[in-house]
Amino acid sequence: MSRRVVITGLGAFTAIGTCVEEFWRGCLEARSVVAEIPPKWSDFHRYNSRVWSPLPPLAPSSDLVNDIERTKLDAVAVLAMETAAEALRNAGVRFSLVDVKRNSYALAGVDADRTGVFVGTGVGGISSLLSNAAYHMLSPQQPRLQQIAKSLASSESHLEALQTAERIAADILIPFRPNPFVVSMIMPNAVSSNVAIKFGIHGPVQTNCSACSAGTVAIGQAFLALRSGNIDMAIAGGVEHLNDDYGMLFRGFDAARTLVVQGKEPLRNDQLNRPFDRDRSGFLFSQGGCGIMVLEELEHARARKADVICELAAYAETCDGFNIMMIEPNGRQIERMLTSLLQSAGCAAQDVDYVNAHGTGTQLNDATEAEVIERVFGQKVLVNSTKSLLGHTIGASGALGAIVAALSIRDGTTHVCKNLDHPIRDLNFVRSSIRQPIRTAVAQSFAFGGHNAALLMRAAA
Amino acid sequence: MSESNPNNAEIYKQVTSVVSKVLRIAEDSIKPESNYISDLGADSLDRITLVMALEDAFKHQIPDEDLAQLTTVGSTVAYIEAKLAAKNQPGS
Repeated sequence: MSRRVVITGLGAFTAIGTCVEEFWRGCLEARSVVAEIPPKWSDFHRYNSRVWSPLPPLAPSSDLVNDIERTKLDAVAVLAMETAAEALRNAGVRFSLVDVKRNSYALAGVDADRTGVFVGTGVGGISSLLSNAAYHMLSPQQPRLQQIAKSLASSESHLEALQTAERIAADILIPFRPNPFVVSMIMPNAVSSNVAIKFGIHGPVQTNCSACSAGTVAIGQAFLALRSGNIDMAIAGGVEHLNDDYGMLFRGFDAARTLVVQGKEPLRNDQLNRPFDRDRSGFLFSQGGCGIMVLEELEHARARKADVICELAAYAETCDGFNIMMIEPNGRQIERMLTSLLQSAGCAAQDVDYVNAHGTGTQLNDATEAEVIERVFGQKVLVNSTKSLLGHTIGASGALGAIVAALSIRDGTTHVCKNLDHPIRDLNFVRSSIRQPIRTAVAQSFAFGGHNAALLMRAAA
Repeated sequence: MSESNPNNAEIYKQVTSVVSKVLRIAEDSIKPESNYISDLGADSLDRITLVMALEDAFKHQIPDEDLAQLTTVGSTVAYIEAKLAAKNQPGS
């Protein structure tokens, strides 16, 4: 009989909760954070979308990652390490400091050679790239402009030029200094390798960069490594943290017309994000987030008397091979993925109680996804979109959706699909967080690049 | 170093605290004559980290060409004291 994989610990950091249980409470209360975009971004461009979902600030230091270490790390790696620590604690895996100078830890009672790390991310340490690029490009320009302004100040006829020069100088945001660790901060694999370094893990350590499906693919690859017998435990999930003084990343998504905007009927800011609704206009840009799971081979979890949240029973992925930014409208590869997922789990479509959908709120995604869900599962299966609460957390989104699915099985309830007034299809969208049996759940993600990935979870037998 | 100069003493205290945090060693093991490499076990990346931490602590940028001057705790204190004094001079 093939090896079975279970989930024994969860961690999360999101706009609506900075630990997994707070995040989950926020989900069940349909909490969201929607704010006007930073005023500074509008100095550079007139955007179509005006709102985003910012994260709470990260603590400046902790025992796990101190302030000195943080000067050498992008926030995305710090977030991955802190969230991994939460997942490990919740899994009952103790870790202790083994190297004071490196501030590195070891997992107790776990064979580090047979433990892996699989973390997905869209753009890794992009914020460090932006900030260091700004320094590189702009630091010589600012004093030059200031010098022009100073020279012009002696002549009244140059008042206008003086004001322009001062405005240019004031617009340039430059970090305090270039960071000598920039290379190791911006490389996407830093999110996984820093977790491995922090916890002294020596098995396979992989970073999955499949955009919005990265978290799902990372958990899926961990599942495959566990089931094959290569490893006994994995820390797996997804992370994103986007700091962008100039709003360039937001502009990229905005220019592609993927973000929420006002329609003919004016809506409040917190009503703009509405996956699967007739009046949807795009996705809510999120600053990011993190979701991490501890996965174990069943006997390994039993041997250390771990509490099992649920079983991760199957994983499947396909690629549209169609377009870098657009989902294939017929959803053929998504359907093939789901068929393969069910087959791998030995599960009939009607046995699936709940689908945590990709549900971005873009026109084509939701239309295609809703149609495929109905084709594969029928109209009875519960459907929601965690993005209706969080907006789109990119590389973290698949992992956070999978965490929601696991907790929904654990607690026999799930969160509403928020702002869904006029569903685009007659599906069983979650309209209230009532208690109901959820024994089998599917969490799926799609991505720029055509990546489709899905996980199937079920209550532990 | 002159211990009678309160500014100097304050800078020494701050530098010691930064060195202790970066190299993860007890403050009482750090002396003015301590050499970062031969006495305190710093490697090349530790020295870069130390410079960043000192820049953050004193809100003063240390150019690459000045790194050679920062070999011991005492030389670091003297360097920072001189830079801060120059910064605080009227007209500068």
